[in-house]
Amino acid sequence: MMDIKRIISKIERDYIISNLKKEERIDGRGLWEYREFQIKSDIIASAEGSADVSLGDTKIITGLKYEVGEPFPDLPDEGVCTVMAELLPLASPLFERGPPDEQSIELARVVDRGIRHADCVQTKNLCIKEREAVYILFVDMYVINYSGNLIDAGGVSALTTLISAHIPEGVWNSDKGETDWTGKYITGETLVKELPFVVTYGKIDDIIFLDPSLPEELVCDGKISISVTEEKITSIQKSGAATFSIDEIKTLGKKSLEIGKKLRKDLNLLQYLSKID
Amino acid sequence: MPLIIKDEYPKKLFREDGKRLDGRSEKELRPIKMEVGVIQNADGSAYLEWGNNKIYAAVYGPREVHPHHLAKPDRGVLRVFYRMATFSVFDRKRPAPGRREKEISMIVADCIEPVLFLELYPGTSFEVFIEVLDADGGTRCASTTVAALALADAGIPMKSLVSAVAVGKIDGKKVVDLSGIEDKAGDADLPIAITWYNEEVSLLQFDGDMDLSEMNDFLSDAKEALESIHKTQLNVLKSKYLKLQEETKTNKEKESKKGDE
Amino acid sequence: MEENEEPVDNDFEDFEEDDASRDVVVPGEVLTEDVKNFLPGRGTILNKEKNKIISLNIGLKQIKKNYINVIPLRGFYTPRPGDKVIALVVDKNPVKYKCDINSKDFGQLKPKNTIKRGRTRGFRGGDVDREETGTERFDIGDILIVKVLSADRLNKPELTTVGKYLGKKSGGIVITIDPPKIPRVIGRNGSMIKMLKSLTGCNIFVTQNGRIWLKGEDIAHERLLIESIHKIASEAHTVGLTDRMQEFIINEKKKRGIE
Repeated sequence: MMDIKRIISKIERDYIISNLKKEERIDGRGLWEYREFQIKSDIIASAEGSADVSLGDTKIITGLKYEVGEPFPDLPDEGVCTVMAELLPLASPLFERGPPDEQSIELARVVDRGIRHADCVQTKNLCIKEREAVYILFVDMYVINYSGNLIDAGGVSALTTLISAHIPEGVWNSDKGETDWTGKYITGETLVKELPFVVTYGKIDDIIFLDPSLPEELVCDGKISISVTEEKITSIQKSGAATFSIDEIKTLGKKSLEIGKKLRKDLNLLQYLSKID
Repeated sequence: MPLIIKDEYPKKLFREDGKRLDGRSEKELRPIKMEVGVIQNADGSAYLEWGNNKIYAAVYGPREVHPHHLAKPDRGVLRVFYRMATFSVFDRKRPAPGRREKEISMIVADCIEPVLFLELYPGTSFEVFIEVLDADGGTRCASTTVAALALADAGIPMKSLVSAVAVGKIDGKKVVDLSGIEDKAGDADLPIAITWYNEEVSLLQFDGDMDLSEMNDFLSDAKEALESIHKTQLNVLKSKYLKLQEETKTNKEKESKKGDE
Repeated sequence: MEENEEPVDNDFEDFEEDDASRDVVVPGEVLTEDVKNFLPGRGTILNKEKNKIISLNIGLKQIKKNYINVIPLRGFYTPRPGDKVIALVVDKNPVKYKCDINSKDFGQLKPKNTIKRGRTRGFRGGDVDREETGTERFDIGDILIVKVLSADRLNKPELTTVGKYLGKKSGGIVITIDPPKIPRVIGRNGSMIKMLKSLTGCNIFVTQNGRIWLKGEDIAHERLLIESIHKIASEAHTVGLTDRMQEFIINEKKKRGIE
């Protein structure tokens, strides 16, 4: 039985902190090391793209669905991509049933912003007919097991889902005034340009470490998530009551670009591009 | 927002060669794969792939009842929450639970309750969370089947497991284990579950039309299919333990052989 | 002030190492139809027709005298009087502590059960009956070794910290395993736990609610011990486990370069 408690024992807190001060973590990782990522893509037959991503024991399954609808008035020739997240009660005794709460909204929004500001999804390629018909993509993340750092797992899950996409290709039939289907598919090749990664750190006292595991996350004073592309920082979110010095933020910015580069290379997400044409 | 590409129903549900659209014969079950202990945080858990159905079940309990007013002083409370992911179906489903999900939650709970000893756990709750990530016909049956495994995995005493399957009629012929298309385009659909300790029916629904002799056939075809599903469930529960026993026994034999040399 | 685990009267016999592997059984499985010669024991039930003994759990089949038992391999903790458990204080008010003891109910610890009576010398030298009236002794977040005084259907389990080896723990770390596996971590006559202690050099306190407190000379030893305990839990139903675990730990120590 997993013994996750809302109250963290003093022993546990002291243990984590005293070991972090010696740069030791219970699972043997270094302060700047990720747990293992395990990725499977295109596993949901009903979805137009999907990914099953585990980061350590944290598991998130994401699926992509689409609709065709009217664009936003201020972006008449662009499609829309929205990200949602649900912290399923089956994933943890700490998650309650009900509509998305702050934690799930934060997860969705941080992942969404990391993707959006990186110019990742090419929404101009999602236009069927200006002002009339565009694709509306729904990237929905479901947390299946919560063991710390939902954000980084979610980021990879959402990105892999978009890369694995195979959305029926539509063209505008101006005579009929509606969309015809070519029988071909829009894949991640057309859909995804940049590969942003979100990198999350925890902070306890004055120690900062990458990829908090569950006990570390429950004990930490705060977190900071930094989204990066190959060259740029595209999104930042600080959460929790901890404060970060300017120097710390600069260091983390630099570290995030390095860590992002390594992750991009190691995970090689483009291997999950859909093979349908 | 209606999708432009229609989820169209084929005109015929049998192929030229007499097989069903997915190649099965009339009484054949779709491939079923199950696993327990898949969600570390849960007290018990199981995962099932049944055809294209992909379903997780997690059990938490016994634990306090929330909200408190639902607690019963003389027995425990079993609550099942059946939910479908937005991307589990062809037309994206709204995230919030709908009436169908609530109905199925209740039916599955009623179906499983007979095998539990709720009177031993007054004032507490057992919660079973079911998440359908991919749906392709017979999800309430698959959910019942995987929920029973998750309860056993949680170490909750049970009189026996429960197994479920949907039988029905498509293009006038009786079949076992309806897929999504067969369910939607077929003539009749009968989901049924058996509790094995007394071999009686604990879930039963029917939509369509049938005469008495057809009903008899449905019930006996179902029983046969359910026995096969039950076997699979039992194997899954035992296999991880048996595998370890095998592995360590062989090593021990190797060790003693070495000792003899 | 760490205390070593004292010999515990436990269900070890359940996981006794035979040469023969025990049968793994599942809920609903028929254990025997010979109801004349066998009686339903732990984890089993007689069916309605009274002609079969059925398993209620996933576990190991065991025959003891003429009882057929099933030793569960999975399960939750149910408090019984006399159990020593690790409790986490989650709340307190002036008259009691509320403790998480990894069971469906929270345990209650009253101040009178946190101090030995009548042993303090009063102002003028005579013995005084000092009663602990408030809840200042322990705080929320404290880990306590407690004994279960009483537990029944109507009342929350009552706990006490008065007794040998009981009280607040400081330092170290607490892990949790499946409660049914606890006897296996202790072993017959404590053989497994003795081996774990001597090979890893850690102090270990194993309790009935699946929680284990441990403390070693450094995190490398503690990590190896934690991994070993989880391995014992997952292989609890196999034979030759103590020897295998000994080999495992010795090899891992070499691999990890620790003494």
